[in-house]
Amino acid sequence: MKKLIQIYLGVLTLTMVSCEILDEEPVSSFSAQGFYQTASDAQAGVYGIYDGLQSTLSRNFAFWGEGRGDAVNTSHSGDPLALMQNNLNTTLNSASWNTLYETISRANYAIKYVPQVFNGESENGQQLLGQARALRALCYFYAVRVWGDVPLVTEPYESIDQDIFIEKTDRELVLDQVVEDLLFASENCRATFGGERDRILFTQGGADALLTHVYMWRHEYALAIETADRVLNNSLYSLVTISEWSSIFTTGLSRETIFEIGYNETQTNFLRVLYALGSDSDYFPSEDFMDSFEEGDERQTLIYDVTLEQPRQIWKFFGKGFSDESADPSQNNIVLLRLADIMLLKAEAHANLIETDASNVDEALSLLNTIRTRAGLDELTQSDAETLYGDIESAILHERSIELSYEGHRWFDLVRNNKAVEVMGPLNGLSDELNLVWPIHQDAINRNPNLLQNDFYR
Amino acid sequence: MERKKQEGTLRSGKLGKFPTLLLLMILGLLTLHGNAQSLSVSGTITDGDSGEPLVGVTVILKGTFRGVTSDIDGRYSIEVDGPSDTLTFSYIGYAPQDVLVGNQTELDVSMKSAVNELNELVVVGYGEQKKKNLTGSVVSVGGEAIAQTNIQDPISVLQGRAAGVQVVSNSGAPGGGMSIQVRGSSSLNAGNGPLYVVDGVPIESSTMSSLNGTENFGLNPLADINPKDIASIEVLKDAASTAIYGSRAANGVVMITTKRGQEGKAQLNVEFSTGVSEVTRTLDVLNASQYRQVILDAYANMANPVEPTWALIDSLSPRNNGDVDWQNEVYHKARQHQIDVSVRGGSKNMKYAWSSSYLDQDGIILNSNYKRITSRLNVDFNMSEHVRAGQSISFTHGINNRINAAGSGNLSVVRELLIRPPTYSMYLPDGSLNGYQFGKRNPVGLAELATHLNTSNRIIGNQYLEFDIVEDLKFRSNLNLDVITMDEDEFVPSTLDYREGYNTGSVRATNNITWGNENYFSFQKTFGGSHNLGAIAGMSFQKWSYRRTGLDGMYFSSDKIRTLNGAGTISNQEVNVASAHSMLSYFGRVSYDYKGKYLFEANMRADGSSRFGKDQRFGYFPSASVGWRFSEEAVFSGLSFLDDAKLRFSAGQTGNEAIGNYTSQGEFVVGTNYLDYSGAAPSVMPNSGLTWETTTQYDAGLDLSLLRNRVILNADVYLKVTDDLLYNVPIPRTTGFSYITQNIGSIENKGVEFFVSTKNLVNEFKWNTSFNISTNKNKVKDLPDELLTNGYIQNGSFHILQEGMPIGTFYGWKFEGVYSRDEDNVNGVTNGALGPVYQGGDPIWDDLNGDHIIDEDDRQVIGNAQADFFGGITNDFSYKNFTLSVFFQFTYGNEIYSEINHQRNSVVRYNNLSTAALNRWREQGDVTDFPRPVFDDPLQSDSRVQSRWIEDGSYIKLKNVNLSYSVPSVLINRVGLSTMTAYVNATNLVTWTKYTGYDPDVNSHSGLRMGIDEGSYPQSRTVIVGLKFGF
Repeated sequence: MKKLIQIYLGVLTLTMVSCEILDEEPVSSFSAQGFYQTASDAQAGVYGIYDGLQSTLSRNFAFWGEGRGDAVNTSHSGDPLALMQNNLNTTLNSASWNTLYETISRANYAIKYVPQVFNGESENGQQLLGQARALRALCYFYAVRVWGDVPLVTEPYESIDQDIFIEKTDRELVLDQVVEDLLFASENCRATFGGERDRILFTQGGADALLTHVYMWRHEYALAIETADRVLNNSLYSLVTISEWSSIFTTGLSRETIFEIGYNETQTNFLRVLYALGSDSDYFPSEDFMDSFEEGDERQTLIYDVTLEQPRQIWKFFGKGFSDESADPSQNNIVLLRLADIMLLKAEAHANLIETDASNVDEALSLLNTIRTRAGLDELTQSDAETLYGDIESAILHERSIELSYEGHRWFDLVRNNKAVEVMGPLNGLSDELNLVWPIHQDAINRNPNLLQNDFYR
Repeated sequence: MERKKQEGTLRSGKLGKFPTLLLLMILGLLTLHGNAQSLSVSGTITDGDSGEPLVGVTVILKGTFRGVTSDIDGRYSIEVDGPSDTLTFSYIGYAPQDVLVGNQTELDVSMKSAVNELNELVVVGYGEQKKKNLTGSVVSVGGEAIAQTNIQDPISVLQGRAAGVQVVSNSGAPGGGMSIQVRGSSSLNAGNGPLYVVDGVPIESSTMSSLNGTENFGLNPLADINPKDIASIEVLKDAASTAIYGSRAANGVVMITTKRGQEGKAQLNVEFSTGVSEVTRTLDVLNASQYRQVILDAYANMANPVEPTWALIDSLSPRNNGDVDWQNEVYHKARQHQIDVSVRGGSKNMKYAWSSSYLDQDGIILNSNYKRITSRLNVDFNMSEHVRAGQSISFTHGINNRINAAGSGNLSVVRELLIRPPTYSMYLPDGSLNGYQFGKRNPVGLAELATHLNTSNRIIGNQYLEFDIVEDLKFRSNLNLDVITMDEDEFVPSTLDYREGYNTGSVRATNNITWGNENYFSFQKTFGGSHNLGAIAGMSFQKWSYRRTGLDGMYFSSDKIRTLNGAGTISNQEVNVASAHSMLSYFGRVSYDYKGKYLFEANMRADGSSRFGKDQRFGYFPSASVGWRFSEEAVFSGLSFLDDAKLRFSAGQTGNEAIGNYTSQGEFVVGTNYLDYSGAAPSVMPNSGLTWETTTQYDAGLDLSLLRNRVILNADVYLKVTDDLLYNVPIPRTTGFSYITQNIGSIENKGVEFFVSTKNLVNEFKWNTSFNISTNKNKVKDLPDELLTNGYIQNGSFHILQEGMPIGTFYGWKFEGVYSRDEDNVNGVTNGALGPVYQGGDPIWDDLNGDHIIDEDDRQVIGNAQADFFGGITNDFSYKNFTLSVFFQFTYGNEIYSEINHQRNSVVRYNNLSTAALNRWREQGDVTDFPRPVFDDPLQSDSRVQSRWIEDGSYIKLKNVNLSYSVPSVLINRVGLSTMTAYVNATNLVTWTKYTGYDPDVNSHSGLRMGIDEGSYPQSRTVIVGLKFGF
């Protein structure tokens, strides 16, 4: 008996001393301190940003880039109808920046910790940092185009002592940060990885292409031409023929693509919901869009079913003759930047510089006609362009609306060219320049007392 | 001494035969009557209060298995060995008595009722206490009350029966979940459920289910415990009684004690029951022609009218020529069966209680079914005079064929059966099910063709070893284990989808193991005849580990192969996760009383948890209480009506550690992959300063026993303040996170609890009443200003948290009716600054700030889910061999946000509507409170959180009626039976309420988001009949 007691007391004392039994480290995840220790952590952290981008843009690339433009029609209540009718409100899904800032937060973590992991200037560390900064720039570029002034966060949040209720920053200052990030990326990203990663990750070419977009948005045409030239001279990119044109979207990874967001059968997007799902997709082609084709444009039948009076789907992304009842997952990559886009941007830059130097006319027309001839259309002269579209700029804008249709460019093209009110006014009553941005989502306002609603929506 | 030894040998002889004996008992062939006898003793057994004879009292010759029961006249006769033998008289509801035979051959016994017996023991943390010596607030529900019900889990037993304990159903499904709160909500998001302790062992009480959408609150982990095995349930409420459980006790402690063997003859009991359930009510919905007209109206009312989608309402199409009330197709009469077998008994050195149960219960929704097998063995040994050991082990196997009932998606059966248009036909001409149409799935198909199978196994075991170190000082060690394994299978076949070949399936395998070891000394001694001193000191260690493996798949080649090997694509990355949590604690108690008159007790527990930051790891939880049994004072001895009276006060602190296992450390999740490239991302913002929630509670109580124990009164008032609330504080999403867990603010709960039980009639016709009523006032006392964006914290879609207001405050727009004519909008009120002007047929919103603009600034408090008071009343009648128990349960003053009523009064997504829509606004001048239906409503009226969906949730319910008849023993003794009882039981017979949904006893979410009805699985009315046999 005494022995039993002694054994029990012994066990009891033993258990009592070991206080470390209360140290429990996560088993299936990392603690905040436990991550960003190794090169593979750094790599995983950067892929985590792309993962954020996948969900951020899976539907919004169209809501933001097409929803308020003239090429789409819809009978879908919620975001599609509200955007089309210019009846934006503070509870729209597309007014929410949650996933966008989550992606930015992931980038901020990487930008802070990747250099620490590599402890100095390793090439691998720099190119990872370049990708992270390019991704952050892409997010802020969308943010500025959608909301105008937005909060600028460039550090990760790691403690409640940090200032979490920050105010909006002037859009030009945000764009300065975007340019700075992209210049870094343009210098430090890999020129090429070889293989599919050249198109689905940010390379130097990707950074240059995005930089071209940002310069155009800021109307800095000379800089835009300079960066666009770097893209045009990049041997990774060349135009595909019209027979391959569909496959840019249907199979992806074409030689024309500069950057596309990768999706697969488990990491899906909303392309089907947006453009081809039963008789119930978000969008179908508007009459204005269908009427705007020039005779003989070979792209028309690749974009929608011309045999129907009112097609209920857009099959550009899925291939001619696509059945909208198909059970296929929505897994096509979303092409964000491609060579034709950059060529037309460069043409637009030249067109805007005609007054300073007449040689820009030829530059602009030559680029425009390269895209037109691929589509089986005749080359335009300056007078053709003026007869058909009023001026060269308008001809280029129209060309973009066809070539880049539904890829998420139309609305931004209209705003950048100062044509949004002119084009959309008659369609939905858009009249106020302040209305060009989205409202800030009510949830964001509720969470942050220092955040002011955009003027138009107050 | 000599004799003792002899008895010992005898007993060990019988122990040796035990296995054979057990076998005999299991076979139900037990007839262990005496061997050689020498003396016969007989007599009459009567009720001590009324003098009436008692039928069926067990009389056992102590130390043997020899026993008889009294007949209808209270007479018994038993053979004894000699005058030094002792007879034990026992009867349910009465205190057992030992009587020495002596020289008497005629031995009359008067039994004292145990119900009022203040010497009755009550289970408390790490021990038992006499009820009369309690200084804390403890409410007890006995096995007899449970036996009067048809309840399948221990939580439901407490509903309406325990003052201060509020129980609300999450789901009416078999094995469905419950929300329970002891003295109000004392936490914001760290969990409001109490700690459950079964036979001294804390068990896991959170659901392990990870599938079935928002129905994950729909499973009740306590359903693994068969209520028929329960001897008593005690709820520890105040700090004095709970502080010994420290950091897990802030929401109260529920102590479940299972039946153990008693010394004496083996008692074999067998019970069969069978019954039928049906839905308590159906709701009115529009028929096909009424529905078509609403849809046409909604099109006509559009701002820019478009051509109606004829495919939706065309009565000539085989898809749309139906006129179906889906409720009739989905609810059915459901049957249930249950068999319970138990054997209990023992000798002086070995006692046992063995039981098994099989339950097969259909739900009132097609194809829902719950099967449960439970088995339990409790044994206690005296290994020597000073060493005792024992073991309790229970095994439960549950198969729950579930239904996805609640939830917002179109996979929810209850929602779909209410809002799927009546025009949709059930079958197509080719005989196939008419499935998906315009966002609506077929509820019959959802119930019958989809799989939501939950299979669980659970073992709860504990062993103890207890020995006397010296006289009065004991040491006890417990080792306990709680293992849950759960397999879940889910499959939605392509026949329910619109896409050819599109089906999805999921599996989850969950494994949750809790084990612990507790070691403590206890001391009890009386000094100088009047100073009673007791003490406990010990330590405990507990560890929880959790592991889940899961796969999701889609594009199965066939709907028939539903296991994941048939999936064309594996779509979920979350294949395997594990987590763990541990706690190390030290605890102690000192109690002292002087002559049982002045009572004093103090408790202390120190808990260390791995969940908190290193610097905040240990929390200390003290309590103290005093009691004064003033009935013992000479001054009161003249009051003959006063049997016992006690005043008590307690104060103390408890805690709550229910947060994520790794929240304080921050978290990076893996699996945020980009294509095949592995990614990781921050998911939880770290906060190393996190610590416990601390609840400080004060309690004052009065216990009275009057008129020879015919009236018992208990009253308590309490004040409970919880500080350092753990809360997921919403932060701007620009941080990359949606919230951060912080210790913020405080909540107050205060209330009064009152319990009275009376013996109204005690003669041949007996009538007992017991009544309880409780109030609890909940208030958010303090929230840090820097977290309040608009003076409050938004809590989910429907609620806010605001200083001075209770948890469960609904916040939104106040609906004030419908504009009868366009010109009634005299102020030209607009929807938003730029939105359209309200017209005839549009809702009138309260323009709170009078700016004639309806916007966010017009939101206000529109309701409150907290009840003003709640309770229950039980009346027990017995006459001769009949007993009748009638139990009413009530709640008053709470409001329900009926999200399901919102769904069924909104044309958005072509929903079918309630018949309230027949009163809708149709033309200028109509006076109604039902606005005109509009598709693509530019006013977005439908999306507002509004008072229109708030309803009074008060109710009184005839919850349980039980009528039983005991067959007189003379009739059954000759067939070897000692007792035989037949009964009829009815549950949820009538509910009196104004609530227009299925049942006001509803809560689709647990915790903070209280009072929301999203269309949970409805409650059912059940009638069962049963037979009990005792051998």
